[in-house]
Amino acid sequence: MISICFTFFLAACGGGGPQQRTLERIRETGVVRIGYANEAPYAYRDTATGELTGEAPEIAKHILEELGVTGVEGVLTEFGSLIPGLQAGRFDIIAAGMYILPERCAQIAFSNPTYAIGEAFAVLKGNPKGLHSYEDIRDHEDATLGVVAGAVERRYARAVGIPDDRVVVFPDAPAALSGVRAGRVDAYGGTALTVQDLISKDGSGRLERAEPFTDPVIDGESVKGYGAFGFRRQDRDLVEAFNQRLATFIGSEAHRELVEPFGFTEQELPGDVTAAELCAASSTD
Amino acid sequence: MAFSPPFDLLPSLSRGLLVTLQLTAGGILLATALAFLAGLGKLSHHRPVRLLSATYVEIFRGTSALVQLFWFYFVLPHFGVHVEAMPVGILVLGLNAGAYGAEVVRGAVNAVAKGQREAAVSLGFNPRQTLWRILVPQAVVSMLPPLSNIYIELLKNSALVSLVTLNELTFTAMTLRADTLRTGAIFSIVLLMYFGCSQVISFGMRVLEARLSRGRDLGGVR
Repeated sequence: MISICFTFFLAACGGGGPQQRTLERIRETGVVRIGYANEAPYAYRDTATGELTGEAPEIAKHILEELGVTGVEGVLTEFGSLIPGLQAGRFDIIAAGMYILPERCAQIAFSNPTYAIGEAFAVLKGNPKGLHSYEDIRDHEDATLGVVAGAVERRYARAVGIPDDRVVVFPDAPAALSGVRAGRVDAYGGTALTVQDLISKDGSGRLERAEPFTDPVIDGESVKGYGAFGFRRQDRDLVEAFNQRLATFIGSEAHRELVEPFGFTEQELPGDVTAAELCAASSTD
Repeated sequence: MAFSPPFDLLPSLSRGLLVTLQLTAGGILLATALAFLAGLGKLSHHRPVRLLSATYVEIFRGTSALVQLFWFYFVLPHFGVHVEAMPVGILVLGLNAGAYGAEVVRGAVNAVAKGQREAAVSLGFNPRQTLWRILVPQAVVSMLPPLSNIYIELLKNSALVSLVTLNELTFTAMTLRADTLRTGAIFSIVLLMYFGCSQVISFGMRVLEARLSRGRDLGGVR
């Protein structure tokens, strides 16, 4: 309902928002605001230092520095508030490792991806129901899947054909993980790095990553998520500037060194897939 | 596993607590002002004032605070109205609590015994004097317990504002939880912090109640 009203008003006022071009403004002031949700290792606040870090913010800082912008302010918010916040001019760039999805492309512009990654399940030790793919959950008679609100896994679950009443939506990844631990759901479906990160932090020793794992197959293709930066649609020049610099940076030695501490390796390089291709992909919803 | 007090969590959580306290304090001030304005407005002899007050109360009591936050923060900028996160948080919390408070104020003033009004009239008080010297001072005492409820509710509602990028206590706890997964320790501290804050509010209100009822036999409100 909110989104309907929201879309209506966007249409009604022609997407007014901030008038000055973002690229011009951040070059003039040297300050840019970056929106992120708290999801390690993509983008998170290091609670020891209070600083914004993660794969996406670090790459963004690097690219912005090349653009002459050194002042980076992080705006921490809920994942679901990222796109409305960007549109309302509350920040200028989304650096949260957000996947490029056709529905999101309808709202905002994406840079080309900075990584590609598969999925994983967190399950109870020993994987009692033997869940190794989204298809396994669908084919099991009563297996349930926990996903995070607004995240891509819900979409995968629908596309693969898991009935909605066996998908439980949690507000964030730790809550979904608690759900697995408490037996509320049989598996938490998240990106491979999120699951890996959470399990390594979990002190209970009662959880494990389901191995081996097969990524969901949708429309005959094994899906991967491609994460990128999000921009307001009118900021084409800023997207261009990012893409130009990303083209030479992603895959370079400097890039590898920058993202290695967050668990990203050569395996996660996006190849030459572009945002335009990913936005054009047919919507599975 | 050896138990050690989770003191390392305190600096982060205190930052969140500070934001929660700012929101609550600002919200309470605004709510009190609005509660009196709209509550007395509903008792006004002027129809437009009554209508305005009633509209405010019905709109803010009748829609969810979360959705109001969304409109104030994410939709108004498209109309060129750009209010920062903290003022939006205080505004929405205050507008909401104020709408509930208005009914408390109206009810309390109405509950002052009829004889008090009649006495004021016979002593030659004009309506303004009657309201401020006779009715309100007696009504305030009976407003305080329900207002105390509303203020504590406001404290807890302040957790909603994480929607508008404010990192208050609950959201800070969630962030910290994602980072460390020490759910038990984090939620225990947060529990105590909220409980401490609400105790301060209810203690303050009880003190206020005791002071304001001194020298009154409350005959007027019964």
